[in-house]
Amino acid sequence: MTEQAIEEKKSESKEWEPKIIAFLCNWCSYAGADLAGVSRIQYPPNIRIVRVPCSGRINAYFIIKSLTDGWDGVLISGCHPGDCHYISGNLVARRRFAIIKELLEFFGIEPGRVNFMWASAAEGERFAVLVRKATEIVKKLGPNKKFEKKW
Amino acid sequence: MGLETENKEIEISLREVARGLLKDKKVDVIIGYKKGTLPLLSQPIIIDSEKDVDKLIWNNLCYVNLAKYLVPRVPRFVDSEKGNLKVGVVSKGCVGRALIHLASENKIKLDEIKIIGIPCNGVVNRQRIEMEIGEKEILEVSVSGNSIIVKGKDFEKEFPFDEYMNDLCKGCKIRKPPLVSKAPDLCVGECEEYSNIVDEFTDIEEFDSKTAEEKWEHISEALSVCTRCYACREACPMCYCNLCFVDQNKPVWFGKTTDLPDIIVYHLIRAYHMAGRCVACGACSLVCPMGIDLNIINRKLEKIVKERFDFTSGLDPDVLPPMVDFKMEDAQEFMLEED
Amino acid sequence: MEEKILKKTDIDKLYDELKKDYNFYAPTKVQGNIAFEKISDAKEIELDYLNSKVPPKDVLFPQKETLFEYRNEGKDVIIEERKDLEDKILIFGVRPCDAYSFKLLNDFFAFGDFQDEVFLKKRENATIIGIGCNSPRQTCFCTSVGGHPFQKESTDVFLSDLGDNYLVEAVSDKGKVLLKGLSWLGDAKKADLEKSKELAKQAEDSFTTKFNFDLVTKVLDENFEHPVWEEISESCIGCSSCTFLCPTCTCFDVIDENDEYNNRGRRIRVWDTCQSCLYTLETSGHNPRPAKIQRCRNRIMHKFSYYPSNYDCVGCVGCGRCITACPVNNELRLIIDKILEIEEGDKASA
Repeated sequence: MTEQAIEEKKSESKEWEPKIIAFLCNWCSYAGADLAGVSRIQYPPNIRIVRVPCSGRINAYFIIKSLTDGWDGVLISGCHPGDCHYISGNLVARRRFAIIKELLEFFGIEPGRVNFMWASAAEGERFAVLVRKATEIVKKLGPNKKFEKKW
Repeated sequence: MGLETENKEIEISLREVARGLLKDKKVDVIIGYKKGTLPLLSQPIIIDSEKDVDKLIWNNLCYVNLAKYLVPRVPRFVDSEKGNLKVGVVSKGCVGRALIHLASENKIKLDEIKIIGIPCNGVVNRQRIEMEIGEKEILEVSVSGNSIIVKGKDFEKEFPFDEYMNDLCKGCKIRKPPLVSKAPDLCVGECEEYSNIVDEFTDIEEFDSKTAEEKWEHISEALSVCTRCYACREACPMCYCNLCFVDQNKPVWFGKTTDLPDIIVYHLIRAYHMAGRCVACGACSLVCPMGIDLNIINRKLEKIVKERFDFTSGLDPDVLPPMVDFKMEDAQEFMLEED
Repeated sequence: MEEKILKKTDIDKLYDELKKDYNFYAPTKVQGNIAFEKISDAKEIELDYLNSKVPPKDVLFPQKETLFEYRNEGKDVIIEERKDLEDKILIFGVRPCDAYSFKLLNDFFAFGDFQDEVFLKKRENATIIGIGCNSPRQTCFCTSVGGHPFQKESTDVFLSDLGDNYLVEAVSDKGKVLLKGLSWLGDAKKADLEKSKELAKQAEDSFTTKFNFDLVTKVLDENFEHPVWEEISESCIGCSSCTFLCPTCTCFDVIDENDEYNNRGRRIRVWDTCQSCLYTLETSGHNPRPAKIQRCRNRIMHKFSYYPSNYDCVGCVGCGRCITACPVNNELRLIIDKILEIEEGDKASA
């Protein structure tokens, strides 16, 4: 589309809804999301789920590339520390998350865009509550303008 | 004690130590600094005989992190018959830290190097001085008392050293290379044992207390002139990847252009890769052809790993760097929790 | 009289008139460095400068340039060529070395069958106003490559800084037409021309760096495998500052960027450097220049041996930016000295 058409399309939408990409670990969080669905617990439809084997698979590149591709928010969810299917994947990931969060904040990129949580396979309700919370945080921040490339 | 006297003393004892090492064949070659051809620069020099020892200098213009020449080893440090030569490295604190950290990452063997410690008193912020002098040619730089004196064709200006030294040097607590207890022969010259370093990180307090918008303004404005030459990456001893993340094309992760989002992402991810590895030597800023000074990022990285993981890079080759380690009790205050 | 006078106080008048027809680029301070940018106010012009950090080639051959854009509409792909190549550009206050670099760049982009339309069209529509160097730096050596601190050849209009005024001389037909449009400029007196010639002589005599590049080319052609290259490349860290700040370096990488979500994409080119180890990496995995020594050697050979063979002139304009930029002080003058020592060594042993 031309630059003009893109701008028009953006201003068309009635009320802006954030698009959040969610990386869920296969064994706990993905199953937890599934449980929420089966139990008919409503949670915001803003998230698009990507299944990964473990939260330790998450590379900083995934998070930053999502932001540069235009996603308004990133959500990463894994097993609780001590319960990782691969024993220590989530512990390795936790350190990475800390560094990313601190660096994003330091650069002035709204840290609320990237959120991390633990949710086990039995915690459907918790999953829905935290996704609701993350969506509200990202919604308050507004659309992702900082990573937009103007051609 | 004025800078000149300090530098002179450091130089004399450095040359003594170097002479001794070469004479007793404790090292095969020594890499250090020699006088540059331009007023604000110095050159790295590799010497292998006692008669060249007097070329070694120490002044506040010794910017390059010499650990860079060991990973990968420059051809002069490898002999076709003997294999890896034993290299003496003239080390400020940060250079020593870099060498020890590279040893913890198994890129250097500690028994193939000797750290010649010197008590660094800081390096001059070359780009800041050049920008202050502006569009006049600098012909001579000298130190006197506690000032840097810069002379040109029709001007002479004095800069207080404490203010015009590199920002990282201002907050530096590790001025001499650390002693390594498991390798008592590693360090000669002036080295020190560091057991409990107290660092308040007051120099980045002011920046840290700004709002997100102000931080973004400051950083994006400073980085807007980045020309993606990657000099910062090439000067950093810790950047030794065969294929850097920006150069990867299967898949392409990030853009290589000078659009602001691409520039920010490059520096953000490089900082992320430096967490727990950066030794705050400042070579990245001092090498930048555009004069970008983002040393606050290096200090912030040091602060993060010290506060969260109680780790300071480059002190102990046996301690695992924080990003390849984990503890059950790691802080997780940033995790989303139910109210 | 053809020569005119421009008072320093009239620069804003000049700008106000020229900005109507031209995109006006001039040296201005950006983040502490001098850069050639499109200005919006005459106050931003800094003519009393040594030289810009990034050379003015950046105006016609920018760090990042779109070659074309495309968009998908249904099943069709529509390619949009650049529409701004016919815009008139004026680059004000270019030093003679950088002005000469435009000639070298033109030779490169117009070579043989491969005409780079994007650069050549812009060059055609660009007017260069040069300014002489009253005090060349110790690191300048334009006189050694056939240049001169007051060389007018590659400019359209040439300014000489006489103190309170500039002497304005039209050099090319384009420049003559430009000056005709500025009828309010005062006429120059004979004394002004004399002063300009005097300043030129003074500047020429002040050079401390001089080379004999014919000899250098000859020595380079005969010593490709000489061990001196080990010494020359020893301290280089491959930072590529020299190539990024060089007015005659032209290497670039072509990248396709896709914006799938908006059904469009573009092909861009960005500056590349022969000092990167990936530069000559081939798809097979073979790399003809795997080590630093080969890459260091390539840069020197390209400027001082291959350029003379292909274009009959040295591929360097003598601006000295690589000398001041090198962070390990592995500077060109030392390199040339080491190369010439081979010649002396040969003579001595002969």
